[in-house]
Amino acid sequence: MLGQYVGLLLLACAPLGLMWNDPYWINILAYAYLFGALAAAWNIIGGFGGQFSLGHGVFFAIGAYTVARLYLDLGLTPWLGIFPAAALATLVAVLISWPTFRLRGPFFAIATMAINEACFALANYTDRLTGGPRGILVPFRAGFSNMIFIERWKYALLTFGFMSITVLITVLLRRSRLGHYLLAVREDEDAARAAGIDVLKVKLLGMALSAALTGAGGGIFAMYVRVLDPPTLFSLPDVGVKFALISLIGGIGTVMGPVVGALLIVPVENFLRGALGGEVPGGHLIILGIILVGASLFLKRGIVGAFTIALRRIRDRRHS
Amino acid sequence: METFFNILLSGILLGGIYSLVSIGLNLIFGVVRIVNFAQGEFVMLAMYATYFCTTHLGINPYLAVFLVAPLMFLFGLAVQRTVLQPLQNEPMMQIFATFGLLILFENSMLALTRGEAYSLSGGYSSVAISLFGLKASGVRVVVFFAATGIALALMLFLQRTMPGKAIRAVIQDRQAARLMGINVERTYLLTFGLGTALAGVAGALLAPIYTLSPYIGENFILAAFAVVVLGGLGSVPGAYFGGLIVGLIESFAGFYIDPALKQAIWFIIFVAVLVVRPSGLMGQIGAEEVGLREQS
Repeated sequence: MLGQYVGLLLLACAPLGLMWNDPYWINILAYAYLFGALAAAWNIIGGFGGQFSLGHGVFFAIGAYTVARLYLDLGLTPWLGIFPAAALATLVAVLISWPTFRLRGPFFAIATMAINEACFALANYTDRLTGGPRGILVPFRAGFSNMIFIERWKYALLTFGFMSITVLITVLLRRSRLGHYLLAVREDEDAARAAGIDVLKVKLLGMALSAALTGAGGGIFAMYVRVLDPPTLFSLPDVGVKFALISLIGGIGTVMGPVVGALLIVPVENFLRGALGGEVPGGHLIILGIILVGASLFLKRGIVGAFTIALRRIRDRRHS
Repeated sequence: METFFNILLSGILLGGIYSLVSIGLNLIFGVVRIVNFAQGEFVMLAMYATYFCTTHLGINPYLAVFLVAPLMFLFGLAVQRTVLQPLQNEPMMQIFATFGLLILFENSMLALTRGEAYSLSGGYSSVAISLFGLKASGVRVVVFFAATGIALALMLFLQRTMPGKAIRAVIQDRQAARLMGINVERTYLLTFGLGTALAGVAGALLAPIYTLSPYIGENFILAAFAVVVLGGLGSVPGAYFGGLIVGLIESFAGFYIDPALKQAIWFIIFVAVLVVRPSGLMGQIGAEEVGLREQS
């Protein structure tokens, strides 16, 4: 079973080997891996736990700012900076989830979206910490300990590694007690409570794990783009909702769904941005909107879900 | 003291805007149980439609309401029918769908206008009205009275007419309403159309106030959600008074604290209400938890 996932990850790695000296595609690939990991992290609470968060941009931004600040002010290497970033993101996640987890479904989604917007306003406001609207610029000083590389494929390798770790954590979680509890809470919160599950604790644990991975991903993002400003980090269509969208396309609540979704959506979006961006402002987002509506209507279980159903049907036919 | 009354007045007038935008959203929210993230974009589309009527057809924006609102009603029917009805019992997919509509409308308008900002000519926004010795912007006073009128008319409609009673029955219990012979799907359709028509009214009345931009919907939607949570799910007076309260809080906080923090203030309202009284000021107790459970 585990071998299957390792095989799929190796398959996802294949384009990296094929295109390692093409900077354009390698760049897109690095993004795709990073967003695959971030979507997989969202999927832990959003997919398995069924808690539809639109506020993961907050944890992403906390991770990015923490890594950048520790690196710039204290000279802490981002390799270690990721850990306090993840810890801080977890702490904030638990603090804001405590009151909001009493809300269900769409109410929770609105609340998390409001948190995202509030933190966006705060990030613009706290000049000294975040650089305000101008943002933070991390100077380019190549070196392994700075997590800044001249060769683009090293970034792709880094984000691929991060994605692999996230997927493996998801696989382990899916089979753990907590994973089963999360699924039970998603399916029926009252039944889960009646069965003796501490619903709030399960949700908080799922959110903590999800936020920690998102914070770490934000840290890697910070060293990759090296320009951090609030509109980028808190953008709903490019960050908070993107995680959910990628999971939806790939398959919400499946282990490999987010990876498949990211490897599909990120290149397609980049292609559209290049093809339409100059002539039709916002053109690629028009298509993204259509994809979002279309997928919610016709591809509810995502590519992985549809594939699994098709596979089962073939298997059934063979048996009968 | 005069500053205080000036802030009070501007808060009430801002609140009128929020009330006007929130009533439609709350109606859809309470009845169809859909969190319509695209509601702000409906307002935005109506603003552009009004701009078109005024600039190209020469219709006064306050007369354009009677053209834009019915058009938005039909548009709402189409959206509900094609996109939202098929997702009736899937709250998660509804969020995706309405968010997709938000991105779609916003960027379609961006592509159409090529990022150029429009504002209505004719000097509507410069008309000032004197109220109790205080100066107020005329267009905002109109919005305030329109919001009040619409809230009252809608309450009468819900209390006195058969379709209104059907809507209230569906708010209380979908299944029982169905058993009483109410066509629940048609009620949803009517309500959604009504909600978007109200967005149409809001858009037409707000067009003379704001500079038109494709992103303007985002300014309304978060405030409107704060209003809905504060006022209570599905309650018309809740949305009306909630809007006024949020407007007042924003106005006072903007003056005494910092205008850059208004989103943070909405959020504090939001969380405070959720912790203290999750059903809102005028909502049914427990609606925030039970309300969205599957009922079909």
